[in-house]
Amino acid sequence: MIRLNNLSKNFRGRPALIDLSLEIARGEIFGLLGHNGAGKSTTFGLILGQLYPTAGEAFIRDISVQRDRMKALKGVGAIFETPGFYDYLSGWNNLRIFTSYSGQVKDAEITETVKFVGLENRIHDPVRVYSHGMRQRLALAQALLPRPDVVLLDEPAEGLDPEGIHEMRQLILQLNSEHGMTVLLSSHLLSEVEQLCDRIAILNSGRLVFQGRWSELAKNENRFRIKVDDWQAAISVIEKCGAAILDTGIVQPRGEIADVVAALVLAGRRVYAVEPLKQSLEELYLGAVAAE
Amino acid sequence: MSSLFRLQLGHELRKLFARKRTYIGFGAFVLVEALVLFLVNLPKPRSHFRRLIEQNGYGFDEYFSGLTLALLMVMWTTFLLGALYLALVAGDVVSKEVEEGTLRMILCRPVSRARIVALKYLACIVYTFVLVLFIGLSALAAGIAYRGFGGLFVFAPMEHIVALHAAWPGLERYLGALALLALSLTSVTSLGLMLSCFNMKPAAATIVTLSVIFLDSIFRNIPYFESLQPWFITTHMGAWLHVFTPFIPWSRLCEDYAYLLALDATFVIVGFAAFQRRDFKA
Repeated sequence: MIRLNNLSKNFRGRPALIDLSLEIARGEIFGLLGHNGAGKSTTFGLILGQLYPTAGEAFIRDISVQRDRMKALKGVGAIFETPGFYDYLSGWNNLRIFTSYSGQVKDAEITETVKFVGLENRIHDPVRVYSHGMRQRLALAQALLPRPDVVLLDEPAEGLDPEGIHEMRQLILQLNSEHGMTVLLSSHLLSEVEQLCDRIAILNSGRLVFQGRWSELAKNENRFRIKVDDWQAAISVIEKCGAAILDTGIVQPRGEIADVVAALVLAGRRVYAVEPLKQSLEELYLGAVAAE
Repeated sequence: MSSLFRLQLGHELRKLFARKRTYIGFGAFVLVEALVLFLVNLPKPRSHFRRLIEQNGYGFDEYFSGLTLALLMVMWTTFLLGALYLALVAGDVVSKEVEEGTLRMILCRPVSRARIVALKYLACIVYTFVLVLFIGLSALAAGIAYRGFGGLFVFAPMEHIVALHAAWPGLERYLGALALLALSLTSVTSLGLMLSCFNMKPAAATIVTLSVIFLDSIFRNIPYFESLQPWFITTHMGAWLHVFTPFIPWSRLCEDYAYLLALDATFVIVGFAAFQRRDFKA
């Protein structure tokens, strides 16, 4: 659905994005991770044709944004970290203004979308009196009008309270599952990305340092928490199997964990639980960035 | 013009006219008009006008009318505030939207940059005409309310114009002059819009626009530069007053407005080129 071919962008000679290639499938929720200044917003700007790439090309539905921006952006919705609105106008008028640039949108469709984002009671108030959460909802509403098949969400949960973050997450999941929308989500809220995204890309100083599934990032971890009747007695058995003991009850086998469990049972230990340990997203992210 | 373009233009106008600033500005024009009306009716200026009118063999009471006062109000108000206000509006039109992030929201959508500039320019032009119409009609209403309807006495020393017209022909010329004044002021609008398309703050676009117009006006009035007068923008912008000369110099008017329209087109093309090439980032 979205394909980036060797995208690079320099600002006054300083590279903001270096040779980024990505492919995002139809119906996927893809996460773009990175610290501030990593190149996430630059990537969004290039996909939307707001920035001109120094090299490379971005495609949406195989249409080049750089060659035919208007055609490529049909059916694309986007929101930014700090969405801009005409504060002196009502939310409703803001939606009418923004949607008019995508064609004529019926009032009924706007009303339905406003209800979907839960803003129906305040939509005729001026935007200047909106809370941050309401502005984010309004931003989401404008991104969904007219009904897009791709949405680009740049830090959609930025500044929201925990309840707001939860609601935004549910809305994104609903859009993806019920309407089949492809979602490109950028965030530095790692837990957010972990709960929403099928695949991720990690950017660091404009470079892609990882692209793939979480499981791929964690595949070499092979760490387990083992619960036995006597940990002190188990230590020598585990070490004989060649496994490393990382902490009390935490084991990293050289081969399969089943061999360690078999050795413990043969040595007369009672094994109550074996639980594979996954690295947290934060650990994975920091690991990938540090490796780079 | 497609219905979608009309809809988008309607929204652009709504953005301009929904701002509180618009009405504060219109209120400021009414205040300046009231001030001009008050000053012109002070004993000294009044006796000056009496002398000028009577020197030409006409009656003061007939020609120091609402129409004459309206023209004086329009001349002074546009000189003092017109350029300032239009530079403020046009200088803001793109750069303010860039600053507030609304332009990025628009640029997420399948709309060409050329259309965005065209919409903004057209909205500014409509705004210019509405503003001039407001100044002209409010001045006329105030003038007639104060002195009644009558002949038109025109005194514009900068343009070397002293003329007198009967009431109805005078009104026709007054209304025609308003249309040409609006056309003259589109040069300020075009310059403001062009600068607004560059990567600069809204205040900078406004200040540079005003500086260009004021410096042009100052240099035009320095005798040393008299030979360069045809090259100054404000020389051509003052052409609207020639509608009041006894025999309207049509060829000169056409020449002046052709110059201004060419200048406007240049400003818009340069502005569009800058807008087209720009990166828009947070």
